[in-house]
Amino acid sequence: MESQIKALHQQLVTKQITCTALVKEKLELLKKNTHNTVNSLLDTLALDLAAKVDAKITKGEEIGLLEGIPFGIKDVYMLQGTFATASSNLLKNYKSAYTATAIQKLLDAGAIPLVKENCDSFGHGSSSENTIFGAVKNAVNTDLVAGGSSGGSAVNVALDYTVFSIGGDTGGSIRQPAGYNNIYGLKPTYGRISRYGLMAYASSTDCVGPLAKSIEDIRIVLNVMSGKDAKDQTSITSSEITEDAILKNTVKTVGYFKNFIENDAIAPKVKADFLQSIEKVKLKGIKVKELDFFPSDILVSTYYTLAMAETASNLSRLDGTNYGNRIEDKNLKETYAVTRSENFSEETKRRIVGGNQVLSQGFSDEIYLKGLAIRDQIAANFTKDFEEVDIILSPVTPMSPPKIGDSLKDPLAMYLSDAYTVGFSLGQLPTLTVPQGTQTGLQITAAKNNEELILKFANFLKDTI
Amino acid sequence: MSKIMTVDILSSIKGAQPSEAVNKLFDVIKNAHTNNNSLNNVNYNCVSVNDLREDLVVESSAIEKELIIENFPNKKNGYLVVAKIIED
Repeated sequence: MESQIKALHQQLVTKQITCTALVKEKLELLKKNTHNTVNSLLDTLALDLAAKVDAKITKGEEIGLLEGIPFGIKDVYMLQGTFATASSNLLKNYKSAYTATAIQKLLDAGAIPLVKENCDSFGHGSSSENTIFGAVKNAVNTDLVAGGSSGGSAVNVALDYTVFSIGGDTGGSIRQPAGYNNIYGLKPTYGRISRYGLMAYASSTDCVGPLAKSIEDIRIVLNVMSGKDAKDQTSITSSEITEDAILKNTVKTVGYFKNFIENDAIAPKVKADFLQSIEKVKLKGIKVKELDFFPSDILVSTYYTLAMAETASNLSRLDGTNYGNRIEDKNLKETYAVTRSENFSEETKRRIVGGNQVLSQGFSDEIYLKGLAIRDQIAANFTKDFEEVDIILSPVTPMSPPKIGDSLKDPLAMYLSDAYTVGFSLGQLPTLTVPQGTQTGLQITAAKNNEELILKFANFLKDTI
Repeated sequence: MSKIMTVDILSSIKGAQPSEAVNKLFDVIKNAHTNNNSLNNVNYNCVSVNDLREDLVVESSAIEKELIIENFPNKKNGYLVVAKIIED
């Protein structure tokens, strides 16, 4: 698929469509949709902004590439004056007091926010079922989950309700729903895009990223959102990626993790399709290397240990004192406890309790600190790998999307389904899901801050597989 | 004097119990082999002292203040009401 942003930009400047008509059409689709992708519509704001774009075009003024392009926002981002619920009971009436840096950059470029999108509550989930707004349905088969936690964002893009959406990825929350709904989804290098204004889940792996239907749209949106931000001290400087820079493939060696493929947990079809993709890459003269990596259960356990510890700490601020759905009780402590017990979902409570367990005296050494040590080993392993290969290719998930309801019954199975995505989060590496190669796509990973190489290889794969 | 705090108290969640599914994840870590030289903490996201932001007080905008007040859960006669604080 070619760039929808460029196609719509062309239609706007040549007056084939008006921005107001475009926004109205998308709002109508979102309003009518039965996939449960919408937490709140930003119709008044979107139509006001669209009228301004139309006025500029009528006056013959030049508009930017993103000006007038409608997009969606996962409901964990701040956009001043609009609801930011995190799909939770606790924040169901909370209004953003300020705007996230990444979203502000898109607004400054003229893009038009249409919708706050359904997701797993506080990003806690891999299916977008852990939400007060109803389980998000898969864009391809409505009996199946949309994936998560950015499920609403992926489905909106897949069904053309938004041109692109902004998701959040802590352990795979952009890449996995992108794979489940056959679109592109990028988790950039940790820090490339400011996290300011993104509700914190696990601060050491939380990333802001785009979901779209083309590589070019991913590139355009990534460029706009990237950059160092004084409001997020972990943000990093990066260079703009030009369109020309990603046209010609320069990747010579590709690696894949042998143990991801040679195990019993992977569906035979995913395995066969992945190996067939590898063969196609080889046929193009690219060298392929098998790499050793940590077992999947170690990756998943390390990720969840650290993510739960961080979320227990991050969510301790949600006590109903200054904001949130406070439930009054006899004193302050009881008010905290009742507010949190009644308003957090079972999955969120499970993660907070798990986090407090591993941070407790007696457990922190043998679980949390050991988890940190394993994370260091994982990062060191990646450094070694990227001395040998340019790109690592992997499936996005071991299995096809589960049916709605199944993940809620078996949380351990849900955690283990993140086996192929969490390692790259722990390594803070950029990874793109492409809708090719297996039923749930392929992940392309490069060394830190090398998104350019990933997009280049994605263009190559588009013509190869 | 040390006081044992259970996870329900630590989490401020009534009746909270450790989950079996989560405990299975933790067992994997407990039994994992780690290299003794691995505590290098290469993942520290340190900020250089030369790279710290200016220590400035930035006044919130009027709309931001308004939204913060609007989000406050309980108000009475123009005051923001908090829960009763006790000492124990």
